[in-house]
Amino acid sequence: MRLCIPISLIGCSSCTQNEKRIIKETERLVADPAPGITASPHDDNLRYFDVTIQGPEGSPFQNGVFNLELFLPEEYPMAPPKVRFLTKIYHPNIDKLGRICLDILKDKWSPALQIRTVLLSVQALLSAPNPDDPLATDVAKHYKENEEDAQRVSREWTEKYANINKGVN
Amino acid sequence: MTDSEQAPALFFTGSDDEDMAMALDSNGLNAESSTAARVEPQRLFLPAESDDEEENIPVIPQKRGSSLDIYNEIYGTADMDTADIPRASSVSASSMSEYISISSDSEDVAVPESSRKKQTVPPAKKRRLSPCIPSASDNIRFPVYIGEFLVPNAWSSISGSGYVKINDIVNIERDTDHSRPSEQVEKGKKAVDKHKANGGKKQVSLVAMLKAQPTKVSKKRTNDTIVRLVTKKGVGIIELHGKMTDCPSKLTTGANLIVSVDVYLLRTAFIPVNTTGGDDRSRAIFVEGLETDEEKSLRERKSAILKLFEVVGLRPQAGVTDDQKKSEREVQGNDSQRTQASRKLKKHVEIVGDDEEIEVEDGEDLSKSDLDIIYKRAQYHDQGMGEMEPAESFTLTLRGYQKQALFWMDSLESGKKSAREANSMHPLWSEYAFPAKPDGGCIDLTEDDKLFYLNPYSGEMSLDFPKSERNCKGGILAVKLLANEFQFSSDVGMGKTIMISALIQSNLGPDELVEQGTSSKQRQLKLNNAFRPAKHRKNKASSPPSATLIVSPTSLIDQWAEEIERSSKPGTVKTVVWHGQNRDDLNAVLEDGDDDEKRHTNPIQIVITSYGTLASEHAKAEKSSSPVFDVEWLRVVLDEAHSCKNRTSKTAKAVYALRARRRWAVTGTPIVNKLEDLFSLLKFLEFRPWSEFSFFNSFITLPFLARDPKGIEVVQVILESILLRREKNMLDNDGKKIVDLPLKDITVENLEFSPMERKIYDSMYDSAKRSFDQLRAKGLLSKKYTHILAMLMRLRRAVLHPNLVFTENDERALSPVGDGIVDVNELIKKFVENDEQSNVFAEAVLNDLDDQVEGALECPICLDVMETPVIVPECLHRCCKDCITTYIATCEMKGEETKCPTCSRGPIKQSDLVEIVRPLPSSQKLQPGLILRRNDFTSSTKLTALIHDLHRIRSTNPAFRAVVFSQFTSFLDLIETALKREQFDHYRYDGTLDVKRRHSVITAFKEISDRPKVLCISLKAGGVGLNLTVANYVFMMDCWWNSATAIDRVHRLGQDKTVYVKHYIVNNTIEGRVLRIQKRKTALVKEAFRGAGKDKEDPDSIENLKIMFGES
Repeated sequence: MRLCIPISLIGCSSCTQNEKRIIKETERLVADPAPGITASPHDDNLRYFDVTIQGPEGSPFQNGVFNLELFLPEEYPMAPPKVRFLTKIYHPNIDKLGRICLDILKDKWSPALQIRTVLLSVQALLSAPNPDDPLATDVAKHYKENEEDAQRVSREWTEKYANINKGVN
Repeated sequence: MTDSEQAPALFFTGSDDEDMAMALDSNGLNAESSTAARVEPQRLFLPAESDDEEENIPVIPQKRGSSLDIYNEIYGTADMDTADIPRASSVSASSMSEYISISSDSEDVAVPESSRKKQTVPPAKKRRLSPCIPSASDNIRFPVYIGEFLVPNAWSSISGSGYVKINDIVNIERDTDHSRPSEQVEKGKKAVDKHKANGGKKQVSLVAMLKAQPTKVSKKRTNDTIVRLVTKKGVGIIELHGKMTDCPSKLTTGANLIVSVDVYLLRTAFIPVNTTGGDDRSRAIFVEGLETDEEKSLRERKSAILKLFEVVGLRPQAGVTDDQKKSEREVQGNDSQRTQASRKLKKHVEIVGDDEEIEVEDGEDLSKSDLDIIYKRAQYHDQGMGEMEPAESFTLTLRGYQKQALFWMDSLESGKKSAREANSMHPLWSEYAFPAKPDGGCIDLTEDDKLFYLNPYSGEMSLDFPKSERNCKGGILAVKLLANEFQFSSDVGMGKTIMISALIQSNLGPDELVEQGTSSKQRQLKLNNAFRPAKHRKNKASSPPSATLIVSPTSLIDQWAEEIERSSKPGTVKTVVWHGQNRDDLNAVLEDGDDDEKRHTNPIQIVITSYGTLASEHAKAEKSSSPVFDVEWLRVVLDEAHSCKNRTSKTAKAVYALRARRRWAVTGTPIVNKLEDLFSLLKFLEFRPWSEFSFFNSFITLPFLARDPKGIEVVQVILESILLRREKNMLDNDGKKIVDLPLKDITVENLEFSPMERKIYDSMYDSAKRSFDQLRAKGLLSKKYTHILAMLMRLRRAVLHPNLVFTENDERALSPVGDGIVDVNELIKKFVENDEQSNVFAEAVLNDLDDQVEGALECPICLDVMETPVIVPECLHRCCKDCITTYIATCEMKGEETKCPTCSRGPIKQSDLVEIVRPLPSSQKLQPGLILRRNDFTSSTKLTALIHDLHRIRSTNPAFRAVVFSQFTSFLDLIETALKREQFDHYRYDGTLDVKRRHSVITAFKEISDRPKVLCISLKAGGVGLNLTVANYVFMMDCWWNSATAIDRVHRLGQDKTVYVKHYIVNNTIEGRVLRIQKRKTALVKEAFRGAGKDKEDPDSIENLKIMFGES
């Protein structure tokens, strides 16, 4: 996990309370990364993160590495971060644009949650798709009617788009 | 006014030159002939040449025409460009015009009549101001020559030849016309010529002649008769020697003649004018400003002399100079306009003394630069002044400047030679030199100038140097900080109490025994009360006054008592506070120490009272009697003496009624904003003659109002002799600052509203702005001024704390219950009841609380160490107070449910949260390790910032003292509540406290402690005199432009630590705009912040309102 934090922003006295928290979170992501997850802020915007999540073992997304973007809005942590898949993924709760249907990213958000917990939740979502609360309705339908076939498609997409060995996304 | 009366005379540069000797007859009969000659009247006169002229020594400036002409000049309707006419004086011009008019046509009289009444002429009794004694000055031979003038337009009233020829001596006599004999006599005027005026001219006075009115040379051969300038009493003071300089060989009626007249002063001129007796004095009380006959004649004498000097071209060398005279003339002009003008002055109410309200006129205020000039001279000699060691009984060490002050005060009291050499000439006098009489065309330049002095105001003349003098024992001790317009009080920290205390102890001596007689007599009067036992009478009657009375504002009484106590050895001084309901019998108190034998062992007596007490005693004294006014004091000291600056106030009158040998006025602002403020002090000091209002008015106030530097100059000279001024930033003998105060570190902290506060404020601001706009559209701004001010006040409150404007909404904060302490076990119990399963967790939390006293627990929201942890009572989860309250506010704003951030249990309410407060390390051991407190107090941005700062200070300085100022007592309530919650010892000082409680509050605040103490002061109550040097942190919660005086309570003599001052300003609020207005220094702000919304308005105020609403 690569992390670059402009020196000038660390311990900067003019930082607001919110910025302090962001820096703190970032530091911790570096010091103690969550398994299978990386998050690195842009040099010019500490609120914008490049994220990768490895597909969980035993899921149709195994062996895939998915790119995501994460943005911390001004109100963070009072408002949830905005997270989006950049890599195409065949998942009932993630639509074609990469938007994610996850309660903690919406009404269940709590300021006690963090970037790490959000990303872990996203990772968990890959392990446990929830077609009953779909975002991509066709995928959800597919999962409901024929889960095995749907998982096959997911694996294919993972192979096709999230295979780091091929370097294609 | 007819043409003929204005007919100007011509001017002559040399009387021998026949061509130029054109005389004009301004007599009505010859009016037409004069017009052509009016051209270019004065330009011919070249003053510089005057001494070089061979025969006709000083070239005489001739003034134009008649009295009306002069009148015009004065009042500016005629050309004012007469500056090129040198004048001995124009100060008397107005009275001069009366003068002339009386002796000429009756129709003239009416005009100046009006001005006469307004003209304040020094009443006769003030003559004593002139220190001059007729001098024997042997080296001056009387009559002494003072000049010569020409009468260029004399004319003959007869025809024929042989009557007169050139160089004939001309007899100058008073006109004997008797049409108005009484006036003429009173005038003391001497007429020229024995002949009657022809036609309508009834009289021709000397003055008239000087005015170039037609004068007639006798057609008879004149002898060397002398015509005397005669006073009312028949004593002439001048002699005139006339000489015919040009005449036609054959006289015709109306022929022009030129006569030169030499003027000589007689010895009698230097005999001082008698002072009128006491009966006049009593009369003056009732008809102040009206003249007695005597005064009138004196004034006329003055006018005549000045006119004479002007005509002969005699000008002062020093003192009243030409420039000043010019403005003096304007003064005279303004004089008559003043009465009307003053009626238009606004009246407003001021508080003087102890809350006595009086109406005062808004006179013309003094600018700061004026004040600087006024004080400049008084301070000029101060650096080299001697020092004096205080008496042995004095326990404190005086600083250099204090020793100087003691020396100065002591010398004033003892009547020793003035500590400050007053070598200035008396401000009202001018110095003249006798001109050398031209003798055969040459002037002896080697001869020393012989000097004489003239008081152009009184007409007195003297051969001796008139020193500016002092004749009261006492003076003004002006000790103050840097000037600032909000100055309320002098800087006690400069040690004025100490200085006075040193004086009292060092200069005990009863005055010279000469006054014993009167003193005992006065005692007797008091005894008529039959109030005292007989045996005391004797003692009292025989002993001179020895006690000192100190009058001070109520709030400072205790401070005086304390300081005097502190500065003296025990038993040497006996201080009695004579104030309040149970006033002791003053006589009994004083008599205790009045035994002659015991005199040296007995303590010095000091009685301290308040202005309020004095005023009420004075009211009482009018009916029966009051001991304060019966006793003759050795010394009376007025503290904050500007309290009685209004001479008509009850306080001032009471103060004037005190009887004392020595009088002192201590004040930071002898002149608050008007010169008349000074008058009251002078009156108290009995500094004659200035203690007479009419005198003060005519020589100081009026000239000042007319922009005449003379007014200021006179004040300077007065102050030089009786005022000692000390400022914090003045330098001592060694060039060091006389007071070396520690640094003052002022910071302004700009704060941001919390979102909720911002919302509240913005909505209030919007509605205020809307209503402002509406009012403006309807043009009702001025009418609704009060309403707008009220809105502004509300906005200002909203900046401080939302609850100050939303009382009905949220009563919690305004009436918090106790200190909100919650019992831990109760909390746990409640939690357990809610959820049996959580028992274990609850116990863990409880243990955790105990263990975590010093530990660092991370807030789940900010991921930082919790600063002020709060517990969500439902689940015992913890967060920073700030974090969770912000979160709850955000949720409420979005309309979402509020839940615990950690476990999403909800809903939770702000007021349910429980704070964990760590008790102060120094608090009693009995207390539990932690205190839980309900979060039922809503803070505000400013309040939070304050508490935060206090905590920060406490962490480095566990026993600090801080002072918090706010203008709003309701905000002080909130601050106090917050301080209580934060376990700060706090004290409250505001206007509702009586003297005793104020005193006890301050004492308690000063008491040594190892805990921090915070004093909350209302700005209005804390302005005067408080000494809070024990503190060195100052927090200004609002109103910070007014902060200098407040800060100076702390930053003053006695302060040995750096003083940290912090102003809190919330960004983007009315506060910032107020700052902008402050820069404009306008009345609105003062008024808005005084809280007094009066229904007055001026364009400037409206302008300010616009700024307030962000429009300019």
